[in-house]
Amino acid sequence: MLSFLIRRILRIIPIAFCVVTILFFLFQLVPGDPALLIAGPMASPEEIAQIRHSIGLDQPLLVQYWDRISGLAVGDFGYSLTFKGSPLPQVLARLPATLWLTAVSIALTIVIGIPAGVLSALNRGRIIDNAVAVVVVGFLAIPNFCIGLLLITFLSVELGWLPSFGFEDWRSVIMPALALAARLIALVARMTRNVMIEELRKDYVRTARAKGLRRNTVVVRHVLRNALIPVVTVIGLQAGYLLGGAIVIERLFSWPGIGDLLINAVGLRDYALIQGITIIFVVGFLLINLATDLLYMAINPRLRDA
Amino acid sequence: MRPASSITRRQATTAIAAALGTFAGGKAARADKRSNTLIYGQSVPVTHLGPDYGAFLRYPAGYEVGYVLFDRLVTFDADLNIRPQLAERWDISADQKSATFRLRPNMKFHDGTPVDAEAVKASLERMLDPARNTTNGPIWSPIETVDALDPLTVRIRTKEPYALLLNTLAHGSGAIVSPTAIKISGDKSMGMQPVGAGPYMLESFNQGQEVVLKAFPDYWAGKPKLDKIIFRYVPEASTRIAALKTGSVDVIDDIPPHLVASIKQDANLDVIARPGLRPLGLALQNSREPFNDPRVRRALNNAVPVKAIAEKLYFGLAHVSDSPLAFNTYGHKTVGHYEFDPKKAAALLQEAGYKKNASGTLERDGKPFQIRLITSDGMFPGDLRVAEVCAKSFQDLGIAVEVKKVEKGSYWDYLRAPLADLVWDAAVFGFNPSNGAGSYHLDAVFKSNADDAKRPVSWNIARYRNAHVDRLIDQAKVTVDPQKHTDLLAQAQTLVWNDAPYVFLQVNDIVSAKRKELRDVEVWPIIFTITRNAYY
Repeated sequence: MLSFLIRRILRIIPIAFCVVTILFFLFQLVPGDPALLIAGPMASPEEIAQIRHSIGLDQPLLVQYWDRISGLAVGDFGYSLTFKGSPLPQVLARLPATLWLTAVSIALTIVIGIPAGVLSALNRGRIIDNAVAVVVVGFLAIPNFCIGLLLITFLSVELGWLPSFGFEDWRSVIMPALALAARLIALVARMTRNVMIEELRKDYVRTARAKGLRRNTVVVRHVLRNALIPVVTVIGLQAGYLLGGAIVIERLFSWPGIGDLLINAVGLRDYALIQGITIIFVVGFLLINLATDLLYMAINPRLRDA
Repeated sequence: MRPASSITRRQATTAIAAALGTFAGGKAARADKRSNTLIYGQSVPVTHLGPDYGAFLRYPAGYEVGYVLFDRLVTFDADLNIRPQLAERWDISADQKSATFRLRPNMKFHDGTPVDAEAVKASLERMLDPARNTTNGPIWSPIETVDALDPLTVRIRTKEPYALLLNTLAHGSGAIVSPTAIKISGDKSMGMQPVGAGPYMLESFNQGQEVVLKAFPDYWAGKPKLDKIIFRYVPEASTRIAALKTGSVDVIDDIPPHLVASIKQDANLDVIARPGLRPLGLALQNSREPFNDPRVRRALNNAVPVKAIAEKLYFGLAHVSDSPLAFNTYGHKTVGHYEFDPKKAAALLQEAGYKKNASGTLERDGKPFQIRLITSDGMFPGDLRVAEVCAKSFQDLGIAVEVKKVEKGSYWDYLRAPLADLVWDAAVFGFNPSNGAGSYHLDAVFKSNADDAKRPVSWNIARYRNAHVDRLIDQAKVTVDPQKHTDLLAQAQTLVWNDAPYVFLQVNDIVSAKRKELRDVEVWPIIFTITRNAYY
C-alpha cells in the first residue's frame, strides 16, 4: 500500500516535467512579446530591448529552456512580469480559495446529486423522477457562467440574500460553488439513477428482501453501495475538470483564486506565472486522481489486492 | 470573414444580464451604509503602486490609485486643465528653457518627513533615470536638470523649450515620492510600499486583488473627506454592475455601452460618460498598394457610415471624429468631416483607376482590389463589430475584404511588425495619449518613421509620411506659448486629415457609474476614474 502511494506520487514528477516542456515550446509558437506588453505604449525600442534582456528573452531558445528546467529543479519558478518577482507566493496565496471552491463544489455534488439520483430511481416514472430529469437537463444544457449570472441576478441583486462577488464570509462560496458544480451534480444524479435502477433489478435485492430486510436497509446498505462504485469514478474523473471550470467561474464572481490569475497571465504572456499555475493544476489533477483510486479501494474490497 | 451575427460568450453573458436587469433594476437599496468608505470596483487588477519600474501596473487601474496616493507639482483637473498642487505657482523663464516652481509651506509625506525642494528634486531625478523610469521615458527625456534653489523653490531646466513640461509633471509618473522612505525601504520599494504626499495613504495592498487607502490626517489641504477608499478588482462587467446595484461597491468603471441602459433605470445610480482621448480608426498601410494613393484612402473615408456606427453600434456613447485628435486632447481643433457618401467614394476610386470587372469586383491593371483587415476582439471597445461594419461597406463598393481576428496578447506584435512581415492593409487602432497632449499624440502616430521597412519606433504603424507635418510637429514641441503651440497643431491636424492615412471613425465615451449619493467622482478623458475628491 505504502509503495503504491510512493510510486503514484513519484509519477507526478515526470508528468510535470513533460507538461512544462510542452508548455515552453508551445508558447514559442504563440505570437506576442511580453516585453512589448509590459513596457506599455510609451516605451522606446531601447527600453523594450532592456526589458527583453532583463527577463532573458534575448537568450537562445535552448538556454532559456535549460534555465527554466534547472530553475524548477531547485524550486525557482522564475520571474513574474506581473508581480515583479517569483510567482510562487501569489500562486500559493490564491490556491486555498480555489481548493475551497472546488471542495465545496464536490461536497454539493455529493449532497445534492446522489440523493437526487436515489430518489429518482426509487420513484421511477413519477413526478419526482420527472422533476429531477428536468433540472438535470437544465444543469447540463446551460453553461456554468450563465447559471452563475442567473444566481447573481436573483439571489443577490433581486433578493439580496448573498454577496454578489468576492470572498467576504462563508456565504460567498455558495453561488460560485453551485454554478461550478451544476454540471457535475446533473451528471452524478443521472448516473446514480441509472445504476440504481439496474442494481434494483438484480437477484440479490430480491434475496435480501426475501430474508426479511427492510426496503430502506436494502437500498442504503446494499444497492447504494454497489451503485456508488461507478458514481465515484465519475466524480473523481470530473473533479479534475472542476479546476478548469473554476477559471471561468472565478472570474465571474471575482473569486480570489488562481483561475483569474491564469487568464491575466496568458493575456500578458507572463510565462513564469503561467508555468507556476500549470504545475499546480497538474499536481492537483494527479492528486485528485490518486484520491479517487484510494476511495475506490475503500468502497470496493475486490480492488485492494491489486 | 466571420458572419456579422456571431456572438461571443461575453456578449451572450452581458445580453442576459441586460435582459434580467430590466426587472431587477431599481429594487435593491444600498445594503448597509458603510460609514464614510468608498469602494471602487475596478475592471483591471492593480499589481504595482510606484511611478518607477513599470509604473502603476496595470494600466489604467494602477494610475487611478496613484492619483489618489500621490501628489504632483501640478495636476490635471477633470477637463485636463493644469492646476497647482504641491507647487502653488510657477514662472517660465524668458528663454523658455526653465521653469521655477514655488512649493506650499509645511507639507508632509505620509511618513511625516517634509515635502521640500530637495525631496522634489530627488523624486523627479528618479524619473530622469531610464533604468528606473522604464515605461514613460520619452515624456521625461527633454528635461535636463532639477535644482533646489531654496527649501521651497525648485527649478527645472530643459534642453530645448519644452511645450509639454507641465503635462509631464501632471502625468501619473510625476508623482512625488518620499526620498526618506526609499532610503529606508529600498530603491524598488514604491511598488509595494508607496509613500507619497497625497490625501490618502496606504493601509494594505493585496497584489492583484485589493488596495486599501486611509485618510492622511496631515494632508496639506486638510484631512480628506472620506475615511477610506478601497480599490477592488472585479473583472466581469456584469458582476461589477450587479455589485453596484446591491451596494457592495460604490463606483465601477468600463461599462459596455449595451449595459448602460440597465444602470440608467436604477434611480440609485448615476452613469458618468465622457469622450476619451482615443480616436478609433482603421490604420491604412500607406507605404504600399493600394493605400499609397491618397484618393483611395479618402474614398474609404467616404465609404463608412460613421454616424450610424457611433449611434447604433455604441448606443450613442461615441462621437464621430472631426480631427486626427480626440476632442478633449490639448491642441485639438475641428478640421473637417468625411460624410458617408458611397457615390463619392466610388467616383474617387474610379478616378484612381479602379473599374468593376464582370463579377462586380473592382480591379486596376487586371489586379483585383483586395484588402486584409485585422482586428482584435476587445482590445478596443466594439472593435470586432466596427471591423465587420467597415468590411461590409468596402465590399459594397466592390472591394474584396478579408477580416482576420487576432488574439489580444499578440495584437501589438501584428501592428508593429516590420514591413516585410506585415500581414495587413488595414488595422483597427487608436492611440491614447496618457499625458493628454496633442503634440505627443501627433508625434507618436503621424511623424515619419526613420525607416519604414523596420519596426516603427513609435506608433506610426500606417507609415504615413509628410515632411510638412513633421516640421509642424517638431516646431510645436518646442513652442511653449499656448496660442502658437495650438496654431501649429491645428495646421498639422488639417494636413493629416486631408491626407487620410486612416479611416477616421469615432471617439468612444469612457463610461463609469456610481451610487447617486456619492459626489465628485471624476472621469478624466485619459480613461481614468478618479476618486480623490469624492465624498458623501
